[in-house]
Amino acid sequence: MKLRLDPRTKLFLLLLSNMTLFFHVNLITEVILVSILLSLFFFSGRYKSGIRMTLIYGFMVSAEFLIIPYTEGVFLNFIAMFSVGIRMMLPCVISGAYAFSTTTVGEMVCGLRKIKVPECIIVPSVTIIRFFPTIAEDYRQIKNAMAFRGIASGKLALLRNPAQSLEYILMPLLMNSNNVAQDLSVAAMTKGISMPGIHTSMTELRMTAADGCCMLAGVMPFALYFGGVL
Amino acid sequence: MIEVSKASFYYPNTDEGALNDVSLQINSGECVVLCGKSGCGKTTLTRLLNGLAPSFFDGKLDGMCQSFGLCAGEAAIEEYVPIVGSVFQNPKTQHFNIDTTAELAFPCENMGMNSTDIQERVRSCANEFAMEHLMDRSIFKLSGGEKQKIAFATACMLQPKLLVLDEPTSNLDYKAIQELHDMIAKKKSEGITIVIAEHRLAWLADIADRFCYFASGELQRQWNATEFLKLSNEEMQKMGLRPMDITSYRKRAKEKTKSEMLGSIPLMSAEHLLVGYEKKKPVYEIDRFAICKGEIVGLMGSNGVGKSTFAKTLCGLQKPIAGTMEPVKEKERLKKSFMVMQDVNYQLFSDSVREEVLLGANRPELCEAVLEALGLTEFADRHPISLSGGQKQRVAIASAMLSGKELIVLDEPTSGLDYYHMTQVAHLLNQLKEWGAAVLVITHDEELAAGWCDRVIYLEDKGKKNGI
Repeated sequence: MKLRLDPRTKLFLLLLSNMTLFFHVNLITEVILVSILLSLFFFSGRYKSGIRMTLIYGFMVSAEFLIIPYTEGVFLNFIAMFSVGIRMMLPCVISGAYAFSTTTVGEMVCGLRKIKVPECIIVPSVTIIRFFPTIAEDYRQIKNAMAFRGIASGKLALLRNPAQSLEYILMPLLMNSNNVAQDLSVAAMTKGISMPGIHTSMTELRMTAADGCCMLAGVMPFALYFGGVL
Repeated sequence: MIEVSKASFYYPNTDEGALNDVSLQINSGECVVLCGKSGCGKTTLTRLLNGLAPSFFDGKLDGMCQSFGLCAGEAAIEEYVPIVGSVFQNPKTQHFNIDTTAELAFPCENMGMNSTDIQERVRSCANEFAMEHLMDRSIFKLSGGEKQKIAFATACMLQPKLLVLDEPTSNLDYKAIQELHDMIAKKKSEGITIVIAEHRLAWLADIADRFCYFASGELQRQWNATEFLKLSNEEMQKMGLRPMDITSYRKRAKEKTKSEMLGSIPLMSAEHLLVGYEKKKPVYEIDRFAICKGEIVGLMGSNGVGKSTFAKTLCGLQKPIAGTMEPVKEKERLKKSFMVMQDVNYQLFSDSVREEVLLGANRPELCEAVLEALGLTEFADRHPISLSGGQKQRVAIASAMLSGKELIVLDEPTSGLDYYHMTQVAHLLNQLKEWGAAVLVITHDEELAAGWCDRVIYLEDKGKKNGI
């Protein structure tokens, strides 16, 4: 059976992986935590992203041992920045990617409601998530429109003439977003988004043993680190 | 029931009323159609009925507009939620959630129902409308017709007494309209009151009980269904209305699929063309296609069959998967073509109409003449955003003409238009034709295809590949 975690657990794991940065834990603690996070991908049946993340992280860790001791000078700085600086951010990226790729919006909303986040924060967050695909779609349309007008729209144009390109993309994007925002608010209001009283969720969330285990497993490396074992 | 008495409504900063002294009674269980030209006040009336005006759409209401005990201007929008369900025109912008099941559950969640009840209701609703296959899908991946079905089902979730639909079919093809029609008929048979503001009237012939005709904010005439069906297409056209009977138009559009190309030298042509976005997922296969200057060609076919993919390939935005095209290079085709998008807002970039049409123009010397011909001279210094939809369309076309493009593709230029405005677009097509452009119109509008296209290319479902 595939593992399904409660969004609250995912949030907790995300917080934990931030701790690695915050407390500047040693490498072995970080590796243990990341291994636990990576295993979640595999337990949830997300093999592809699991393998990809493992490869990236593995490469960066091994760079520390295999490349850095044998390099000098400017090149060393560059590699060190890459393998240490970016590597330290990876735990957050990995747990974030896990949380985002395995949580539906419904689960997220329900999770947020359970930890008593006020509606005035939930609704805008959901709206923002709703807007991302719309903006992506709009951007494609605008790029087509620019092509017909002979306005260069590629990445090169963006570099060469950033102000103008941005203007051409942003103008129609904003014009349209304004319309979309009004239509969406109207539709949402007729469906009762502004109803006073408690809003419920169709998705039911319950903390299971698996959630407990994952949280414990996540805390473990920190406990060992602060306990002086690692 | 609904009671409107001596209702007038004024939007802010306008002297003319959007509604003027309208009195109307609608009984429970009745299905009433509001019709009339764009801007005749029918949308405003729907907004008064579902409580959006004057609460959300600001304005001044005189008189009374009461739906099932709720008076516009007195009752809060929230009070309308369990009583009135609403469906709007644009399928793209009325879903608040990303997946379909969550969208259906959304009104129930907002009412604070418990999770088991919500699940039960979502299941029975999906079952009632036979749309189990649409559940748990991303709304962004549905066709326009499927999106509108979800919107209608969502409006029914709280078992409202009144359903208010504002031009629900403007973006739909024939089949999708039929399916929406069946859903509405079902709700009507359950005794739910239904009010539909609509331009396309033919699909309503057997569900509407009454037709109300609006002009400049006034309720001018009412007919019961039998009387209304007796009106001839000419009488309807005089009132600026779309026909009740489109079989003759459909037939004529079909006949035009057999017509030959008007000229002998094609501007663009294609053979054994396979279009699509990914090599392994072709969308549509077209055996033979050619278009020449000075003709208007209609491109028809159901939603999602591959019309826009084909048009994009033709315009050089997209490489064909297989087949030969003339001109061969995408860049060459792109240089020759222009597409007026269904949503023109995407293609307006400048601060004034004149700047807009001169942007990238190859023939700027013709600017004034083109503006004049398209009736845009008086707006030349206005910001494009301040124009109406039809005017924006003409600005886009003017820029295409000035850039010397020879193939002009229009994507659904008449969706959501009444008869009068449709003929204006048709007139524009003719102007383009006389100008010497090859005009390709992607459309569901049988009336436009039958009346103004020189020939019609119908993308049959059988050419469809499994790409979408």
